[in-house]
Amino acid sequence: MAESPGPGRSRLEPIFSPQSVAVVGTTRVPGTVPYDIFYNILKDNFQGTIYPVSPRERSIAGVKAYKYILDIPDPVDLAVIVFPSSVVKLAMEQCGQKGVKGVVIISAGFREVGPAGVEREEEIKEIARTYGMSFIGPNCLGVINTDPAVHLNASFARRMPSAGSIGFLSQSGALCTAVLDYAHAKNIGFSKFVSFGNKADISDIDLMLALKDDPATKVILMYLEEMTNGEAFVDAARQVIHEAGKPVLVLKSGRTQQGASAAASHTGSLAASDEIVDAALKQAGVIRCQTIEEMFNNAIALAYQPLPKGRRVAIITNAGGPGVLTTDAAIHERLELATFSDRTRDVFKRSLPVTANIKNPVDVIGDARADRYRVALGSALEDENVDGALVILTPQSMTDIDTIAEAVCSVASKYDKPTYASFMGETDVASGIAILQRRHIPHYILPESMCRAFARAHDFGSEKDRRLTPAVRFSDVDTAAARTLLESAIAAGRAYLPPADAMQVLAAYRLPVLRSAIARSAEEAASVAAAIGFPVAMKVDSDDIVHKFDVGAVMLNVSSPAEASAAFSTIHARVKAHRPDARINGVLVQCMAGPGEEVILGVKRDPAFGAVVMFGLGGLFVEIFRDVAFRIAPIPPEHIREMMHEVKAFPILTGARGRAHRDTAAVAECLQRLSQLAVDCPQILELDINPLIVRDQGDGCAVTDARILVADTERASEDSAGAARNA
Amino acid sequence: MERSEIQRRVTNVVASVLAIDPAEVLPASNFVFDLGADSMKSVELIAGFEEEFNIEMEEEKAREVQTVEGAVDFIAQYVK
Repeated sequence: MAESPGPGRSRLEPIFSPQSVAVVGTTRVPGTVPYDIFYNILKDNFQGTIYPVSPRERSIAGVKAYKYILDIPDPVDLAVIVFPSSVVKLAMEQCGQKGVKGVVIISAGFREVGPAGVEREEEIKEIARTYGMSFIGPNCLGVINTDPAVHLNASFARRMPSAGSIGFLSQSGALCTAVLDYAHAKNIGFSKFVSFGNKADISDIDLMLALKDDPATKVILMYLEEMTNGEAFVDAARQVIHEAGKPVLVLKSGRTQQGASAAASHTGSLAASDEIVDAALKQAGVIRCQTIEEMFNNAIALAYQPLPKGRRVAIITNAGGPGVLTTDAAIHERLELATFSDRTRDVFKRSLPVTANIKNPVDVIGDARADRYRVALGSALEDENVDGALVILTPQSMTDIDTIAEAVCSVASKYDKPTYASFMGETDVASGIAILQRRHIPHYILPESMCRAFARAHDFGSEKDRRLTPAVRFSDVDTAAARTLLESAIAAGRAYLPPADAMQVLAAYRLPVLRSAIARSAEEAASVAAAIGFPVAMKVDSDDIVHKFDVGAVMLNVSSPAEASAAFSTIHARVKAHRPDARINGVLVQCMAGPGEEVILGVKRDPAFGAVVMFGLGGLFVEIFRDVAFRIAPIPPEHIREMMHEVKAFPILTGARGRAHRDTAAVAECLQRLSQLAVDCPQILELDINPLIVRDQGDGCAVTDARILVADTERASEDSAGAARNA
Repeated sequence: MERSEIQRRVTNVVASVLAIDPAEVLPASNFVFDLGADSMKSVELIAGFEEEFNIEMEEEKAREVQTVEGAVDFIAQYVK
């Protein structure tokens, strides 16, 4: 792990580790933010020098105060601004003149309050740029560094947390105080604790990278309400996870409206922004958590114990029922119950009562005291077939809870394998739990949470060491041809590419497009169909018809020239009946794809994450079950495979219940080519290949229909809404 | 009313409300940044000006006034 300060850390050095701090705008009124911030720094034993800056006061809490920061005779590393927003720019200007390099702006009343606040925020950004200052906030709770050499609590939290190896970064200040309270109760310590508010200058990404290089931080937790620069976030998270080997856990709230409002295609409507966030975090190797509790359940496992090298767990319990519950939870999390070696079984036989269950889960019986736990846990961790231990305790009258807790801690500390515990109950087990927490044995009220944390820790261990293969770059593609088609649609003011052009774009990237041609009359339909070869599919080519099937404008298995002429006339008549105003360019005559399963492939350009590729099975699976998977392009081959397997209905393609095994390798290649197309052609806003027919193994697949959206989403939405109204 | 008279009386109100020496009250002084007025004092200042000049000011606009000079200009609109 690199210990030298990286670019992120050096910018943050004056904020995290200042020698001197000025609190600018403080007052003498306890219970107010300006006073409490100053007093917290003072009472929590900051190791540097602190200066109150107050226009009216000569001293604050017995410390000499200065009217202006410029009056302070010594250098100031960090300024914490607590003035009202209207004068923050004046304070910033003086900080700049004073040579301050780091600022924390606690004050609210900026971007979060509307246009006037946006203007104020731009002004302070400009001042910071002019003087080369970095700042956290505005609109934040502050910054805490528990490093004993610094010990800075520049926040208005009620308490300073104890030192620990977890770094916590939060967009919400109020959540920070709740988290500190929660963590205090569970004896969880922090290395750095930052509320970054509006992130007008220093962003969540800067902070994450700073903690990557922070030797005191082993695990990074983040609470986010928005991800405005998703691609950069993913890159940074990858660095933290794969270069520094530190886990990143994210609790993300606040689903945006962007995904829904831009829903002009299947992929557009399916790729709601939260699903994209989910995919991106997965691709980065981030552990996404749904609740604060889940986040800390995982964090303590990752911070306190060695990572499990495998999924084989030993369950040691003094109660049958909880042992079974834990077994169920372990299996649910795809953990395995370890099979003990003969040697371990012999030790169990010799040391445990005859009534004890010496298979996994090991039941040391309800009257077990510390000696049985000591033997059972020690032997299990000694066993090479065991990757970690889960200790369960229920409090019977003879259970020496505290002694057992001490024994568990002492045995666990001797092994480079993880031990987690669940002392079930509340009152009687409280002192035992406190011992476990103090000595960093992750404790869980529920066995389910314990097993989930074990599984996540194992997953992280695999993820951090995984080296992904770069995304495939095909050299046989014609990028210029694809771009020309896209540009000419844009130049013509079209939202969607004409269907034939959309197919040509895909053909330029060697996606398996079926042979097709446009017929403009019934006679031409007969000759075009004959040239393509029967049977053919025929469908209307019209910019105004989005759902061709719904208006009867698709006819399949047309088998002769006469049928082709008739089909042309039928399609024409049906469209005219349903949509008299629709402009008809002609009828697309296309080679039939032959039998196979229908899948859908898509692209959506997300404002935060760039090109997102989608895969799912066609028909009901997409429409009803939303059984689809996403990845951010370019996609490494490992993630192509994983996104395909993520789709629940995927076994339909791989021979489930006697079905034919379809050509999944060809689907994977299509996804790779589509990913490259999405990266190479930013003109594509949304793209659907629906359906792609997947034939039997070795026979490839075929694109039968495609839609490409190139214009701005607002206009596209209008077009789509119009088409839907008229369909 | 002469501008200098408004200036003198504004200075006195400010010094009295904020309990500071009138000599500290300069035309460019910012009520919050230089003179340390908190939100309560800002309300008291507005009330003090209204009483001193026997006027009724538009409160939202009055709150936007940041400096002594600004207050003189603002009050001048009411006492013409």
